[in-house]
Amino acid sequence: MERRDFLQLLGLFSGAAMLPGCSENRSAGKLVSYLVPPDEGVLPGAALYLPSTCGECPAGCGLTVRVSEGRAVKLEGRAGHPVNDGGLCMRGQAALWRLYHPERLRNPLRRDGAGQFQPLSWDEALTLVVEELEQARQEGRANLLLSGRTTGTLTELQQHFCRQLGVEPLPQFEIFSHAALRKAYGILFGQAELPHYRIDQADLLLSIGADLLETFVSPVGYARQFSRAIKQDGFQWLHAEPHYSLTGANATERLVLNPGSEAALLSFLLLRIESSGQEGRLPRQLLRALPAVSAGQAARLTGLAEERLERLAKQLLLAERPLLIAGGIATGQPNGLQTALLAGLLQQQLGMIGSRIEFARAENYAAVGSLHDLQRLAERLEQDRVGVLLVCAADPLARAPAALDLPGKFKRAGLRVGLCDLFDDSARQFDLLLPLSHPLESWGDAVPRKGVLSLLKPALDPLHDSRSAGEVWLELLRRSAKPAESASYQEYLFDVWHRRLDERQLQQFAEQGYLSLPVAAVPLRLQAERAAGQLAGAETAVAAPWSLVLAPSIRSFDGRSGSLPLLSELPDPLSTVSYGRWLAMAPAAAQALQLEDRDLVRVAAGDWSADLPVRLQPGLAASVLMIQGDLLPEASLPIDPRSGELVRVLDGVRLEKLGSAAQLAILAGSSSQHGRGLIPDPAHHAEIPPEQSRFYRAHPHKEYRWAMTVDLELCIGCAACAAACYVENNVPVVGRRDHLRGREMSWLRIEPFYDQAGRAGFLPMLCQHCHNAPCEPVCPVYAAYHNPEGLNVQVYQRCVGTRYCSNNCPYKVRRFNWWQPQWQAPLEQMRNPDLAARDRGVMEKCTFCVQRIRRARDRARDEERPIRDGEVVTACGQSCPTGAIRFGNLLDEQSAVYRLARSERAYRVFAELGTEPSVYYLRKG
Amino acid sequence: MARLLLNLGIIGYFGLFLLAAVALGGYWTGDRQQPQQPIAFPHTVHAGTLQLACEFCHRYAKQSRRAGVPSLTRCMSCHQTLAAEREEIKKLTRIFEAGQPLHWNRVYRLPDFIYFSHKRHVRGGVPCAACHGDVARMKTVRQVRSLEMGWCLACHRDLGAPTDCTTCHN
Repeated sequence: MERRDFLQLLGLFSGAAMLPGCSENRSAGKLVSYLVPPDEGVLPGAALYLPSTCGECPAGCGLTVRVSEGRAVKLEGRAGHPVNDGGLCMRGQAALWRLYHPERLRNPLRRDGAGQFQPLSWDEALTLVVEELEQARQEGRANLLLSGRTTGTLTELQQHFCRQLGVEPLPQFEIFSHAALRKAYGILFGQAELPHYRIDQADLLLSIGADLLETFVSPVGYARQFSRAIKQDGFQWLHAEPHYSLTGANATERLVLNPGSEAALLSFLLLRIESSGQEGRLPRQLLRALPAVSAGQAARLTGLAEERLERLAKQLLLAERPLLIAGGIATGQPNGLQTALLAGLLQQQLGMIGSRIEFARAENYAAVGSLHDLQRLAERLEQDRVGVLLVCAADPLARAPAALDLPGKFKRAGLRVGLCDLFDDSARQFDLLLPLSHPLESWGDAVPRKGVLSLLKPALDPLHDSRSAGEVWLELLRRSAKPAESASYQEYLFDVWHRRLDERQLQQFAEQGYLSLPVAAVPLRLQAERAAGQLAGAETAVAAPWSLVLAPSIRSFDGRSGSLPLLSELPDPLSTVSYGRWLAMAPAAAQALQLEDRDLVRVAAGDWSADLPVRLQPGLAASVLMIQGDLLPEASLPIDPRSGELVRVLDGVRLEKLGSAAQLAILAGSSSQHGRGLIPDPAHHAEIPPEQSRFYRAHPHKEYRWAMTVDLELCIGCAACAAACYVENNVPVVGRRDHLRGREMSWLRIEPFYDQAGRAGFLPMLCQHCHNAPCEPVCPVYAAYHNPEGLNVQVYQRCVGTRYCSNNCPYKVRRFNWWQPQWQAPLEQMRNPDLAARDRGVMEKCTFCVQRIRRARDRARDEERPIRDGEVVTACGQSCPTGAIRFGNLLDEQSAVYRLARSERAYRVFAELGTEPSVYYLRKG
Repeated sequence: MARLLLNLGIIGYFGLFLLAAVALGGYWTGDRQQPQQPIAFPHTVHAGTLQLACEFCHRYAKQSRRAGVPSLTRCMSCHQTLAAEREEIKKLTRIFEAGQPLHWNRVYRLPDFIYFSHKRHVRGGVPCAACHGDVARMKTVRQVRSLEMGWCLACHRDLGAPTDCTTCHN
């Protein structure tokens, strides 16, 4: 290059480099005064913590919302809440992404003649609804309301609204309706309810198909119960399933069943326990109706060894407090109702009903229907008998099986009104869209199960011109000149609460955000005759390979949370796949077909087919394929005619190798530990290499030395911690393109490691805050350094992006900003104001939530005392449903981490490198 | 000739950047140091003549990270009657009656990545004037300290306050 060219280029680049420096956000340079000073208790600059209830799934977990400057910036599980008691799952953490979702509906919209949506005012929209309701009534067409699951006061208001305006309320729509279970309990005991299971009261848990830790009724609650149960000596958990779930991965032992053989297993157990003569006997007519399954037959059908089956029966007999939970995949099959019935009988036989299975605290699913109801709706639509169809907070169009052709039939309703929050594909099928407020913007209450009342209280003003469902119903009542009783939904709620609760209860409700109310005992009697008549058809046919299991997804529930970007960014805990869909396959089966990760295959069942990349899943049965249920909404899944549940296991699936590969973001480098002892095998404690001599100078610590302990016995790999970390620390969501290049940004990740037998261990991996950190000496600008309290600190303003630190980190926990992080409006409002977003070209990583340490220190200084043990709770530790993550001061001999770090189970990852990490893991057993 | 032109071109090109940089630099410092305010509020009267304590208006200084600017109700509690005939007070009254908040221009501004707590400094006995200067003598408040890290650290070292990076850096 000539000197002159060089100079010209230099000039060009220097100019280009200056341009980005010329912008400045000037509006941020304002100090805005209050008009009137805020109420007592509100301190400018300090965050508020308000109670609320999570609306991301039907579980109804209690929330503490951190509100900073009028914006909700973090959700935490509410300690003491009867549903979740402190933990919050990744979907709950991501609920803020729904609140600030850029695609939220901002105002009512109406489709014009050309099919385009035009904004209109609430006034116009509601007047239109009232007129159309009236017109349909006069024409003799039915007005219908199809709602997602509601509980508490909203259900009552909805019923009142329907009665007054002659709208027919359809049974509520949930794809996870647990219809088979409810129907079975109805047949057996006359209680068509979903009982509350008490895992924490059991010494042996046998779960069949129920994905307790992913989506089954109340995953955080069950995880909390599990954490209590496992602390008792001798607690055993057996999980039987045809596929591979996170729940199965966490059981003491996973029993791999042939698909569809759950009923055979239960029949065998029932007969074996009956013949032992030790437990309560079943009525004779029931025994006669039971399919006679011998040990040999059961072994052939289930695929389990005869000896294992016998031992299972013995384990159930020997256990003092056994508990059986069947559901999920087990009841989402053609013989699902029989499976549920047999499970109910076994529960009765072993005396669980009434003690560890509480109908008095039944989960609130009474108003929820099944797919039968959706079938009936489709028929009615076809007959052109529907006037106005109101669909509230439900997405039947995307969730219902394609066989119903709901989108096609929907068009035949007179006026389709959608009350929804996101402007997505389903929303575009409506004629009139009414934007729903987020639960965090609304008043309300929830009764997740009998005896629990949970409060919803607005944490912020509505971001858009939206209303809550309650407000819409009240307004429609008023406009139809019907008694609306209250001026606003808030008043309506206050009236209801004042009527039902006494002063003391009201105060408690307002302060703690929830109430535990007394429940009435439910007398149950086995109705043997009815049950016997329903048992026919429980026989099991041996499934033809391949079987395809549609596993419920921990990341998107039934698909409803799939539109939240954070949940696509977080990898699936078992496969570590983040973006895209995949087909999970056993390594042995893949080897036989010469398939590897990412190879494309065509899966076909009936007239449905899809091309999917393969992801090897250790531990999966060789004849079983698995996809995430929410990833294939177009699948023509059948409906079980007896229970009305979606059949989620398909037999006789065809598989064809396509010979090409797809791009799939698999974040794990390997599913094996390669003998590195990251999660030491409990049988080989002595094999952990001793810590080696020091290479670095020792650092003195005066007052605090922060450390973390992670109990792997409690860790269930649910990645709630990772989600919490994203939200707390403004970790950017970078998207699929970067993930395909291995440029994920998570400060904390769950690493699943599988052994030869396919058993999984989960290792939450975050910055280890090494005492002798390899990242520190290689930084040329001292951006990585060790602070006096034992934190390995990254000073972003010093960082020049050499990435030497990341190269030298044995734990691979440092993340580099390849781009300027983008926060599409209004997502930027979600950012935690306590820490800045990092810029392009800067390395970042876990800080041990230094902002939370600072907050605790500030409080301690005010009170002139040292920081107490347990006062600093990191975001990951707060969110953990099982309380596996503890944080504290290692110099304080009274602290929990001091005690745990000295436990016999404690070890540190790569201790042999002499890095002296501040994160102590506690191995299982 | 062509060579001369090219050289002039190069010099002119770089010179332009230099000029732009100098001009922008001047503009920024000027803006940061003494912005005009929507209401010509005289600290000289309130803090000077009337000797009001800083916390009378900036009432959160001892309790919160933010010192806070007074709410309009606070202003009006005196100015309902006091000096109500003056032009600036009339302006204030109009804004108050319209139910609008006042958008003051920031004089002191720390970058996003800095954690700073008024409470810790005030409770630690640092006088307001240490950072804000003698506002009682400023008709329009101007920035008197650079707020650069070296300046912060000098004081932290002198007073034995923590100097670990995480004390201030987020």
